[in-house]
Amino acid sequence: MELAGEVIIGVPPQQVWAGLNDASVLRQCIPGCEEVQQITPTETHTRVLLKMGPVRARFVGKILMSDVRPDEGCTLNFEGSGGAAGFARGSSVVTLTPDGSGTKLHYSASASIGGKLGQIGGRMIDASAKQMADQFFKAFRTCLDAPIAADPVGPVSPIPLSATAGVFAPSIAAQPMTVGTIATPAAGLGAESVRILWFVLGSAATGFGVWLAGHLAR
Amino acid sequence: MKAPAFDYIKPRSLDQVFGLLAEYGDEARLLAGGQTLMATLNMRLSEPAIVVDINGIEALRGIRLTEDGTALRIGALVTHSEIEASALVAQHAPLLTLAAPHIAHRAIRNLGTWGGSIAYADPAAEWPACALALDAVVIVRSRSGERRIAAVDFFLDLYTTALQEGELVVACEMPVRRAEHRYGFNELARRHGDYAIVGLAVAARVTQQKMHDTRLSFLGIGTTPVRAPETERFLDGRTLDTAVLQVAARVLASELVGALTPLADLTNSAATKRHLATVLLQRVVAGLVP
Repeated sequence: MELAGEVIIGVPPQQVWAGLNDASVLRQCIPGCEEVQQITPTETHTRVLLKMGPVRARFVGKILMSDVRPDEGCTLNFEGSGGAAGFARGSSVVTLTPDGSGTKLHYSASASIGGKLGQIGGRMIDASAKQMADQFFKAFRTCLDAPIAADPVGPVSPIPLSATAGVFAPSIAAQPMTVGTIATPAAGLGAESVRILWFVLGSAATGFGVWLAGHLAR
Repeated sequence: MKAPAFDYIKPRSLDQVFGLLAEYGDEARLLAGGQTLMATLNMRLSEPAIVVDINGIEALRGIRLTEDGTALRIGALVTHSEIEASALVAQHAPLLTLAAPHIAHRAIRNLGTWGGSIAYADPAAEWPACALALDAVVIVRSRSGERRIAAVDFFLDLYTTALQEGELVVACEMPVRRAEHRYGFNELARRHGDYAIVGLAVAARVTQQKMHDTRLSFLGIGTTPVRAPETERFLDGRTLDTAVLQVAARVLASELVGALTPLADLTNSAATKRHLATVLLQRVVAGLVP
């Protein structure tokens, strides 16, 4: 599955990044997101209730993050499990670029599907993942426009610095930035939250594929 | 795999169904033919607290003309096979008779229901596309009464319909065929019985070899059944011959871009589906039958 898209958001990249970083914002915006559990600074487990068509089930999955560039983007590797019937695995790249006074958010994801799913092929996987992404960005834009306009600082949730340091280790090596600059609360949260989105897309794809397998009856 | 544990109840009246839907809300699932639900339960992709079997409700059965004789009413529990074999359907809504054999396999057609197909609104399913082509009205009911929703307003998005919580589809009504109406249905699938890659239902009035009020309803290319208004306008008033159909195919190809770009799946790209849609258009329109 290949999925790509672009969204224009009316606030600068820093604020978009901060928004993507705010776990509570994401929990609100991700369709069906029930729980976000951070296992290590670079690994997060999520539980999502996917409700689409006949499917109404919880999926769990994990996501690992790399190549973090605060305010610019990152790469996420996700793995979603739909139980015995199959799994989805993949990666996605998110980049933020300034666009006038706003931000152009570009995302692309590729995923492979295995197990029973792989044999069947996905009839609606692309469409459902795209719909999930659309729902997310619609909610995200609404969420971001409201609170951030009122509060120029942006929604910043505190995170322990110890956690952030680990998350941003790769980017420290890649960029001439001091630890102090990088480890702002906003940037720190960004790491785990963007990947939640990608995990969700992954698990949506998996869920769908699993359902298709079940649908083979047809 | 086996389904997770759930409670099962078979109510005898719609009031009882509404009561259960109100009590359990999202945790209740309606069982009609079970051709989608049972597979979903067995794969544990849905874990409802209760399955409400509506097969005991006689009011949801039957194919008949409405009292004024202008519409054909098909109850939610009517099976695909019943539609396929119905003389009333063949006479008043022959598009459905043409489409029925394309639905899965005999065993599934014997159990799967009209209402189930409409309520799930699978974008590759035959009945939603036919309902749109025929300008059908979906009749839904809840505790607070009945609503009549035109097919065009009923199918909203991928597996998303205008059905609200506590509502169920009770029937559909479609205008009866008039003498000059012609219909066509065909679909392309890798094996017969698979979900179609692309399908097309056509309804039009044909007088003196010219098409009027053409309605093209494609399945499998969007998140809902999709009309192609530009191509319809092009066909209206034209004589049906090969040259016109070839131009119509090009009009369709140029129309299926932007918002109407076919949704790709794992094996078929948007371009493939667009091409297949033009192939189907020529085949189906050339073979329109009364």
